[in-house]
Amino acid sequence: MHIQELILRLQRFWADRGCLIGQPYDIEKGAGTMNPLTFFGALGAKPWNVAYVEPSRRPADGRYGENPFRVYKHLQFQVILKPSPAKVQDLYIESLEALGIDFSKHDLRFEEDNWESPSLGAWGVGWQVVLDGMEISQFTYFQQVGGQDCRPVSAELTYGIERICMFLGGYDNIFDLVHGEVKTDDGVFPVTYGEMRQREEFELSAYSFEHADLDLHRNLFASFEKEGWRLLTDHGHFLSAYEQALKMSHTFNVLDARGAVSTTERPAVIKRVRDLASGCAKAYLEHQEGSAATIAAAGKGGAL
Amino acid sequence: MSAAQPFLLELHCEEIPARFLQPLTADLSAALTAWAAGQNLELTGLEVFYSPRKLAWRAAGLPLAQADQIEIQVGPPQRMCVDEAGQPTIQGQKFAEKWGVPFAAVRFEQPAGKKEPCAVVTITKVGRPTVDLLQEALPGLVAGLHVPKAMRWGNSDFEFVRPIRSILCLLGDQVVPITLDGVTASNTTWGHRLFHRAQPEPVVVPEPAAYEAALEAAGVVVSVDVRRARIAEQLNTLAAAVGGRVVADAELLDTLAEIVEFPKIVCGEFPPEFLELPKEVLVTSLREHQKSFCIEKLDGTDLLPCFLTAANRTDDPAGFVKAGNEWVLKARLYDARFFFAEDRKLPLAVRMEKLMALTFQRDLGSYHDKTGRVVAITKALAKRLSLDEAHMERALEAARMAKCDLRTLMVGEFPELQGIMGGEYLRHEGSHEEVWMAVKEHYRPAGADDALPVTALGCLLSLCDKLDTVGGCFAVGIIPSGSKDPLALRRSGQGLVRILWERGWALTPRDLSGVVLGIVGPKATKPIAETTEALLAFFKDRVTYQLELAGYAGSVRRSALAAGWEDLADLKARCEALSGFADDPRFASLAQSAKRIGNILKDEIPDGNFDGALLVQGEEKELAIQLGRLEATTDQAALLGVLADLAQPLEAFFGAVMVKCEDPALRATRLSLLHRLRQAFLRVADFSLWQ
Repeated sequence: MHIQELILRLQRFWADRGCLIGQPYDIEKGAGTMNPLTFFGALGAKPWNVAYVEPSRRPADGRYGENPFRVYKHLQFQVILKPSPAKVQDLYIESLEALGIDFSKHDLRFEEDNWESPSLGAWGVGWQVVLDGMEISQFTYFQQVGGQDCRPVSAELTYGIERICMFLGGYDNIFDLVHGEVKTDDGVFPVTYGEMRQREEFELSAYSFEHADLDLHRNLFASFEKEGWRLLTDHGHFLSAYEQALKMSHTFNVLDARGAVSTTERPAVIKRVRDLASGCAKAYLEHQEGSAATIAAAGKGGAL
Repeated sequence: MSAAQPFLLELHCEEIPARFLQPLTADLSAALTAWAAGQNLELTGLEVFYSPRKLAWRAAGLPLAQADQIEIQVGPPQRMCVDEAGQPTIQGQKFAEKWGVPFAAVRFEQPAGKKEPCAVVTITKVGRPTVDLLQEALPGLVAGLHVPKAMRWGNSDFEFVRPIRSILCLLGDQVVPITLDGVTASNTTWGHRLFHRAQPEPVVVPEPAAYEAALEAAGVVVSVDVRRARIAEQLNTLAAAVGGRVVADAELLDTLAEIVEFPKIVCGEFPPEFLELPKEVLVTSLREHQKSFCIEKLDGTDLLPCFLTAANRTDDPAGFVKAGNEWVLKARLYDARFFFAEDRKLPLAVRMEKLMALTFQRDLGSYHDKTGRVVAITKALAKRLSLDEAHMERALEAARMAKCDLRTLMVGEFPELQGIMGGEYLRHEGSHEEVWMAVKEHYRPAGADDALPVTALGCLLSLCDKLDTVGGCFAVGIIPSGSKDPLALRRSGQGLVRILWERGWALTPRDLSGVVLGIVGPKATKPIAETTEALLAFFKDRVTYQLELAGYAGSVRRSALAAGWEDLADLKARCEALSGFADDPRFASLAQSAKRIGNILKDEIPDGNFDGALLVQGEEKELAIQLGRLEATTDQAALLGVLADLAQPLEAFFGAVMVKCEDPALRATRLSLLHRLRQAFLRVADFSLWQ
């Protein structure tokens, strides 16, 4: 199955089950959870179902486009269901069936895998979903986000898009995956993942392992932090402040990939990101409470 | 007592982490048993079942109701309850009212201990139906379970290990309709997840006895023991079919039995070229990444290019499970081979510098610092053990290389391969066998069940590494106490003592403390005298435990330890000798006499110098001669023989001689004789602790 077909089917499936279809957020991030649609959506009491694709950057996983299984940037398909439905596991299995997986012939297991994001002050419990021995999804019941208890609890489903495509097609190399087909008057041209991304993998790996200016990144980290707190404390702006937290997080990941953060200073640096993100979460909840009456009176919904 | 019926409770949940299954079922069993006892209900034959989605308890018998309880209540004397006309008085009526009976039900009897007839009523407390009691109690018992990583879900504040999706609860064929977090019990449950893709109706369990069969028909084997046995059988059959045997791993077997509801073992293959990886790498990679067993040749040497893993279903009709696992494993082994090749592009030694950036412990510095200390310790101890120059050089080389593999890609991926990879890489580089073997084995013994390093250099390196860890931590104030031992210093210390014990090296804990504290020196944050004292106390505990592990009887351990614990070879010889004599009746007598000597010498400590010529009685002269023999004996085993021979003369001495006599000179002589005897005894054991 082509990558784009897989994404389209998942979007169709979840849209039909009452999810908004969201879009990736245009700031570098390590995981789909960091998209405000999840980070803020999982907070507060309002019902909130959303699904979207999120490119996720992990500088330390970069392999210059040479490793057939590991990449700097991969695609996550993220679903948030709040409150978590009673039949959430069944829904998830149906979504796999929508991808053409016939469970009369496959093995499916939910193995304990608790998720924690120290830089978001978030944690949950759940599983990695294993299909025929292969981890294809993360399944998490959020307990806390931004240091705030999640009430009600959201279920988060994260599909590893490239992995599932490789597995379904029996590919031994991620770059052989077919993204889709370009049809022109001259014919049909399949476009591979390699054509679209291999050079990018090479350059981004080289950047994060060799070329990134460490002093610049250290300065950026501190500047984003300062900017974030200024926005949050002086103006009470949690959305623009949260963007600064996202930038801090990615800057940290670049420094970390270079081994520029020692094990001893690591927790303290992560805490600086977490503090800002948690401040944003708290301000968001306070804002929600304050404007709840207004929104109710105006008859408008939505999590943000 | 009403009739007993079988009882069944099953909580059907979303997948529960394997590590919680056994503790949770055991905890609720205990809670259920205690509750039944408190309710005067006889609960019999309680058994537990669990699978990834189920926690279940079944009792062979639970009464349908509490037994009625008959109580006799005694009230005021008859004369106060009935007036002269034979009518009830106000007091009489109040007594009847108090117990809720008509006055006619009040009898007048003279109970034991009363001087006159009194008002008496018999009250029958009707036992309550067990169904009602269960309904009231079970939700609280389940909610009261301790769940280490509890979660909430949906809109509820209820916390449990994973969401509860249905409840099956039966007493006989009756449903006990308990409700937990909005889920009400019925006589149905759910079978295997994939079974219900085609079969949307729940599984009916008409009575507790039908539980296993009803679920097996729906694709779930609810007994973990049955699953484990079936897995073990399939593993052996499949391994034999490819001409090999399973590389045993009891923990992995338990894991597989806990993560599937129906155990189907699948045999897959991997490309044979991966067999060039060290066996440990393959076994670890397969176990950690794919929960798979390796298959080795029947002679136990090499692996076969096959693996065995568990699927959570009854069959593999299209071969997808086999193919999928093979695909994933290939990706994993590709990674492992990449690491193995990358790591060997440079000699292991180049990682030495990178150890500077790897913290061992905040106050003790990096692994580079640690390596420096371990080298120094190795040098000091090798000298004491009189290693020749060639061996000394190899020991130091091994000590220098020991931690370098912490900076290899392979150990980054599989921390449990530390040591093993360093050894393998050195072997590939053509290091001396003694060097790479020592590095490879220097983490052993990994625990009480693990063997020591096979080679002497391996033992020496392990000892020095552990000594640095323990001594270093003590010097900066990290000392295990109670349940607090975050760096597992007790395990390191025990391994160290075991090496000394089994190798019989002439190194005492005091020597070792001196060496390590001298080398840690500048890093220490605590005064050296304080640390030495703490270290020796720590080692004494480890030695005491070592005696227990070695299987000596309590009396042997107590009395031998009291006579000195620091010279381990000597302690071992004394324990061996004492154990050999333990059944000798003369020992009991000797122990008696030793206690007596202890009592006599409690108040007066003589200097031990005496003139034998001052002794007068035959018994004491004989004892003095025996003392001479004893003091002249150096061999431990022979010493015990001589000691045993002392039992009779001592008995005779105490029978005839009055030690604390009037004559001060004679009295001093006798006391000195006994003092010298005690000193001689203490070379072997403190017999006053022998029981």
